Amino acid sequence: MLQRIRTAPPRYWLVVVAILFFAGWPTVISSFQAGQWALALILAIAIMGLNILVGYSGQLSLGHGAFMAFGAYASAILAHRYKMDYLATIPIAGLLTGMVGFLFGVPALRLSALYLALATFALAVVMPSLIKRPFGLTGGVQGISLPPVVVPQFAKDGFTMLTGSAMTSDQWVYYVTFAYALVLFWLAWNLVRHRAGRAMRAIRDGEVAAAASGINIAGYKTLAFGISALYAGIAGSLLGLATGYISPDTFPVSLSIQLLVGAVVGGLASIPGPLLGGIFAYFLPIESNQWVPTQTWIPSQIVATVVKAGPAVTYGVVLILLMIFAPNGIVGLANAGYTRLRRRLRGAADRESGHMPPDPQTV
Amino acid sequence: MTALLELEDVRCGYGPTSVLHGVSLAVPEGGIVSLLGANGAGKTTTLRAISGGVRWLGDIRFAGRSLRRMHTEDIVGVGIAHVPEGRGILTELTVDENLKLGAHRRKDGAAAVRKDYDRVFEYFPVLRERRKLSASTLSGGEQQMLAIARAMLMKPRLMLLDEPSLGLAPLVVRSIFEIIRIINQADHVAVLLVEQNARLALEMSTDAYVLEVGRVAVKGASADLKGNESVRRSYLGY
Amino acid sequence: MQAFLQQVVSGIASGGIFASLALALVLIYNAMGLVNFAQGEMAMLATFIAFTLIDHGISYWIAFPVTLVVAFAGGILVQRIVIRPVERAPILTLVIVTLGLATLVNGVAGFIFGYVPRSFPSPFSVQTVNLLGAFVSYRDLGVIGVSAVVLLLIYLLLQRTTIGLTMRAAAHHPEASRLLGVHVSWMLALGWGLASAVGAVSGIMVAPILLLEPNMMQTIIIYAFAAAVLGGIESPLGAVIGGLIVGVTVNLAGAYLPFVGGDLQLAVALAIIIAVLVIKPNGLFGRPSVRRV
Repeated sequence: MLQRIRTAPPRYWLVVVAILFFAGWPTVISSFQAGQWALALILAIAIMGLNILVGYSGQLSLGHGAFMAFGAYASAILAHRYKMDYLATIPIAGLLTGMVGFLFGVPALRLSALYLALATFALAVVMPSLIKRPFGLTGGVQGISLPPVVVPQFAKDGFTMLTGSAMTSDQWVYYVTFAYALVLFWLAWNLVRHRAGRAMRAIRDGEVAAAASGINIAGYKTLAFGISALYAGIAGSLLGLATGYISPDTFPVSLSIQLLVGAVVGGLASIPGPLLGGIFAYFLPIESNQWVPTQTWIPSQIVATVVKAGPAVTYGVVLILLMIFAPNGIVGLANAGYTRLRRRLRGAADRESGHMPPDPQTV
Repeated sequence: MTALLELEDVRCGYGPTSVLHGVSLAVPEGGIVSLLGANGAGKTTTLRAISGGVRWLGDIRFAGRSLRRMHTEDIVGVGIAHVPEGRGILTELTVDENLKLGAHRRKDGAAAVRKDYDRVFEYFPVLRERRKLSASTLSGGEQQMLAIARAMLMKPRLMLLDEPSLGLAPLVVRSIFEIIRIINQADHVAVLLVEQNARLALEMSTDAYVLEVGRVAVKGASADLKGNESVRRSYLGY
Repeated sequence: MQAFLQQVVSGIASGGIFASLALALVLIYNAMGLVNFAQGEMAMLATFIAFTLIDHGISYWIAFPVTLVVAFAGGILVQRIVIRPVERAPILTLVIVTLGLATLVNGVAGFIFGYVPRSFPSPFSVQTVNLLGAFVSYRDLGVIGVSAVVLLLIYLLLQRTTIGLTMRAAAHHPEASRLLGVHVSWMLALGWGLASAVGAVSGIMVAPILLLEPNMMQTIIIYAFAAAVLGGIESPLGAVIGGLIVGVTVNLAGAYLPFVGGDLQLAVALAIIIAVLVIKPNGLFGRPSVRRV
């Protein structure tokens, strides 16, 4: 065991540091900020789900906001109408959404990447209208208000014991989200490393070849859809917990786009990517509105543009520039930089080990 | 006298794999030169280098002017017509549209173009019959005819032909080669002919180069190579 | 019966709008195998430009073609600056780029023009004329007329001119076309310019009806997708016919199916998309594509 710790690659240490960081983070930031970071983690969970679908199994979805909506409403209805304890509804909502996603994955099999993008995009656009209709169930335009969050006693006691101050509901929500994020990210990591993940990547990289190798294409693709919807459903459910109120307007098309942006920026087909992506997706619009005006070196017209036009312009520019210069997102850049560094350090050794240019053949 | 096309120590490859290791050859004005060799020797790559499809090192000069860094479409503009392996027929378009594309950059007037159309239909009557049909309905041999007709309409100074006999019945091949010879003589069009069918190619051409793994292994007048049994046995397979 | 006819004609008019945007989508799809998610937003921006011109006193019938020219130039610029760097990237990257472009254009329009809906003039009055016993508005007829003219012009350009031929060649067979001297790269840019102009027509036609604001085209593009998918994403003719069918169907569904009503018409479009993709993915006029292994 000690041996394993000593020989573990630096990556594992990074993970440990990150976990400790996020576990302790609420103790150094304000309660309000803890609420914000909870939302960022929620986005990260949804993005992780999207990443499984897009990054690992190669199916493009522009409608994950719709799955979040489904999960959120499932939880809300169970809690509001059927008086279930909200925390208990979260895994149920997740499973329900997962099943819906799985079913969605079946017709999706017949669609090429582009058509799938179209269909899911259309779904995302239509979703708010679809939610409004069953008025009795969903509360229509007015949405559903949820009872305020009550921090359970054991958590209050534990927190006070460790930090000496009382735990706020925002902090509690943060820790619930953090717990789910830990579990779900760990699950995703396992999925990717083992057979299912390899199968999905094989499908992503070349479906015909994968089929020829005997991989059950339909099975893994629908599985990917189901799992990614499950993640989005849990995220949506947690969103309800965090904000206390959901309505059709909580889930516009821009949410689905935001998720995709986060996935791409963080880095598709990576585990840490969605975490970075969630943080980016959540904080960029807020920061650009708050931070930019304080930077006196930026000319006032640009500041005005950024503030007025909001995140849209920034998102758009970032997306385009990223796709041109760094299609693998932040994680990709980090990986590339790391590889280059290692190669630089190893370069001399390579040259001596004899990587000779190919020998010209004589006739 | 400088040749119309000159390759000097051309090296190129695809990514990390090097395919040509220094190929030098020349095509004289109005001549027919064949480029022979086994599969994978680099014949197609040589043609692609000339027409700008791959990056290369060394020098390629056409009518004295280097083709370095020129885009394919501009190389076409200076008078080189490349009929690629597989013929490059635009199957989404009709036969007539394919032909029109051949002629679309010409500047010598509609009358001259019309005259060439007449000649094309004279050589290949089947193309006139199928004019309005999709090019995908043509058989292999007919597609080859279309490709050559189209190249003719480009009024090039040099034609690069990549395996025109591939997959075609012997009779069809004979007639196509006959027409290539006529085009060469009547229009004074030089031809660089890549062929696996060495015998046919040697009959047609004045000079020949044999490539082996990216280098010129043998070169000389076609008549000499034809007569040299050891060369034929080792390099040409017959 | 009269009401039915009215709905049908109205549907055809909407269909003309959908067909124009769908045609723009098809043009770009043919050129690059890519659906431009930003097509609607680009059309919206072009319409705002038209609005600005008209607002400054320029007559509608001059502002219209000027806008088309500007849209054309804009499309070329977009292709050169944004699309060309990622030309050879996998389709996912391209889709994301067009999504980014859509977001960007929407934001820019919002910044410059704000989000307050504005009325946009139509040269055709809303007065109705009696046609076969039904009352059809001049505006609907005008939309049908303009759409038909634009679509006809595009058809003539693509099928009957040399440049149209080279554009089609470049779209379907870029490598082989290069060997024939076609400047493929410029043909792609032209395709974008053309698509952009055609999309602008759609925007200008719809603005008087929906009121001009940055999010105006977001529903239209769904209808246009439905039209393009129904007609066969590769077929310009399919886009037109698909547009008409979608327009009429959605209109009739909204009028005659009680649970659909006004806001779920979009869901009808979604249903069409899904139904087509599941039953006959190549649409009415598309050709089954052979997948290269």
